[in-house]
Amino acid sequence: MEQNFILAGFGGQGILFAGKVLANAFMLLGKNVTWYPCYGAEMRGGTVNCEIVISDDEVSSVHKENADCIIVLNHLSFDRFLPKVKSGGLILSNSTLVNVTKSRNDIKYISVPMTDIANKSGYNKLANMVALGILTDIVPGLNDEILKQALGKVLSEDRKHLVYPNLEVIRLGMNYIAPVH
Amino acid sequence: MDNKVLVKGNFAIAQAALNAGLECYFGYPITPQTEIGEYLSSEMYKRGLGYVCAESELAAINMVLGAASTGAKAMTSSSSCAVSLMQEALSYACSDEVPVVLVNVMRAGPGLGYIYPAQGDYNQAVKGGGNGDYKLIVLAPSTVQECIDYTYKAFYLAHKYRNPTMILADGLLGQMMEPAVFGEYPYPEIDNSSWALTGAKGRDGRAIFSVATAEDKQNQHIYDLFAKFKTIEENETEWEEINTEDADILLVAFGSMTRNIKAAMTELRKQGLKAGMLRPITLSPFPSKRIHELAQKVHNVVVVEMNMGQMVNDVKLAVNGQAKVDLVHRPVGQWLSVEEITAAVNNILEKNYASV
Repeated sequence: MEQNFILAGFGGQGILFAGKVLANAFMLLGKNVTWYPCYGAEMRGGTVNCEIVISDDEVSSVHKENADCIIVLNHLSFDRFLPKVKSGGLILSNSTLVNVTKSRNDIKYISVPMTDIANKSGYNKLANMVALGILTDIVPGLNDEILKQALGKVLSEDRKHLVYPNLEVIRLGMNYIAPVH
Repeated sequence: MDNKVLVKGNFAIAQAALNAGLECYFGYPITPQTEIGEYLSSEMYKRGLGYVCAESELAAINMVLGAASTGAKAMTSSSSCAVSLMQEALSYACSDEVPVVLVNVMRAGPGLGYIYPAQGDYNQAVKGGGNGDYKLIVLAPSTVQECIDYTYKAFYLAHKYRNPTMILADGLLGQMMEPAVFGEYPYPEIDNSSWALTGAKGRDGRAIFSVATAEDKQNQHIYDLFAKFKTIEENETEWEEINTEDADILLVAFGSMTRNIKAAMTELRKQGLKAGMLRPITLSPFPSKRIHELAQKVHNVVVVEMNMGQMVNDVKLAVNGQAKVDLVHRPVGQWLSVEEITAAVNNILEKNYASV
C-alpha cells in the first residue's frame, strides 16, 4: 500500500526539517520512503512544502498530484493545498494561523492551535513538532521513541542537544486531544 | 539495513565520489545540483584534497581536463545550460582520452531553463554537443541508491576506458531523499602509469594531443576511438527489464521516470494487459540490440520521457520497424503520473488497433 503526505507552511516554520524527521521515522519503521521538496524561488518569503511518499513496495512516483494527508502550518498553504487532499483524505491545520473553512465535505479536518501550543511551551519556533506529535495519532506505528531516533539522524553532531526540546514539543502534540470534524 | 541513511541524491553523488577516491573537484554553483559542490567544499578541505570553485563552468571543465590528464580522479558537476558551456572540453577529453567525470543534474527547457526537473538533455548527452566524432559514456541512475552505485561505476569506466563519462541525473533525483547504503567503492583501481602526465622524472617526456596532424594518422586516431567505443558497447551496455518474457506492450523510460513506468506496468497488468518494461541504464552505449530482440516479440513500444521526445528516436532506430513505437511525454515539471501513463497506453492501444 502506498500513502503520501504533504507538509506546507511559511519559509522558517521548519517544514523541510519536520519532513525530514518524518521521512527518517518512516525509514526506521521499515517503509520505503521518498522525500521531495519544492525548491528554488518558492523559498524566498513565500510558502514552502515537501512531499513524503511511503510504500511497502517500491515507491511508484515521488511527486503526485494529490495527497492522502496534508499538514498546513499557515493559511496560504491551506488555500493552496485544500483542493489537493484526496477524497477521503485528511487536512491537518495549524488553527492559530489558519482560518479553517470547510468547503469540502469529502475529507476530514483536524485543527490544532500548533503555534499557540509551541508558544506556551517556550519553544515558539516548534509548531512543526506539534504537528509531528499529532501525526502519532494518525500514522500507525509512529511514536515519540521513533521520532526521537529520527531527530537524532536529522540533527547534525553540533545540534544533537536540540533533540530534547524538539521531543518535548512533539509530546505536547501527542497529548493534545485534537477534535476531528 | 542498519547502514541505511536517508540521503539527498546530490549528497549521495558527492559522498560516493569521495568514496570512489575523488582527488580534485572543480565546479560552479547552479540549481538543482549546488549541494554537490557545497558538500565537497568542506569535505575535500577536511581531507586535504583539491577543490576549486571556478570562475565559470568553462573554466571548471577545463580544470578537470587538466587534472584528469595527470591520471587523477577528477570531476565537475553542473546543470543543463551550464553543461552546454562544457561541450567543447568534452569533445577534447574524448579525443585526448582523458578520464573526465561529469555530473549533469538536468533542469527544464532550452536557453537558461528553469529549475524544475526535466530530461531534455538526453540528445546533448548521448549525441554530443561538441564537434567531431566522439561518444561519452552516459549513465542514468533512477534512484538515490543508484546515484551512489553509478557514481562509483562512472569513475571506474572513465578510468578503465580513458573516456569522459557523464552521470545524467535530473532535478527530481538531485533534490529528493531516499534511504540508501553507501558501502565501499567496489571496483579495482586502474593503473594509469603508461599514459598519465606526471612529470618526466626518470622517463621520456609525454604529451597528450587531441589531434594528429597527418591525414592518415588522424583517420587512424578516430578509427581507434571507435574501436574502443565498440568494446565499451560489448562489455558495458547495461539495462534493466521486467516482465518481458510474455510482454505485448513494452514501456521504456530512463532515469527517475523508471519507477513511474514500473508502477504503470503493474497497473496495466492488473487491467489484464501484458505489459513489460525496459530501462536503459547506459544511455550511451544504448541497449539497441536488446530492444531490437524484444521488438520482435512485442507489438507496441511506448517511450515515456520528460522532454519533447528524444530517447524515442534511439528506440525507433533499435526497433527498426518491428513494432509500433509511441511517445508519452511532457516537457518539464511534474513527472507523468502512473494514472497518466496507464491512460495514455490505453489510448495508444485503442488508436493502434483501430487502424488495423
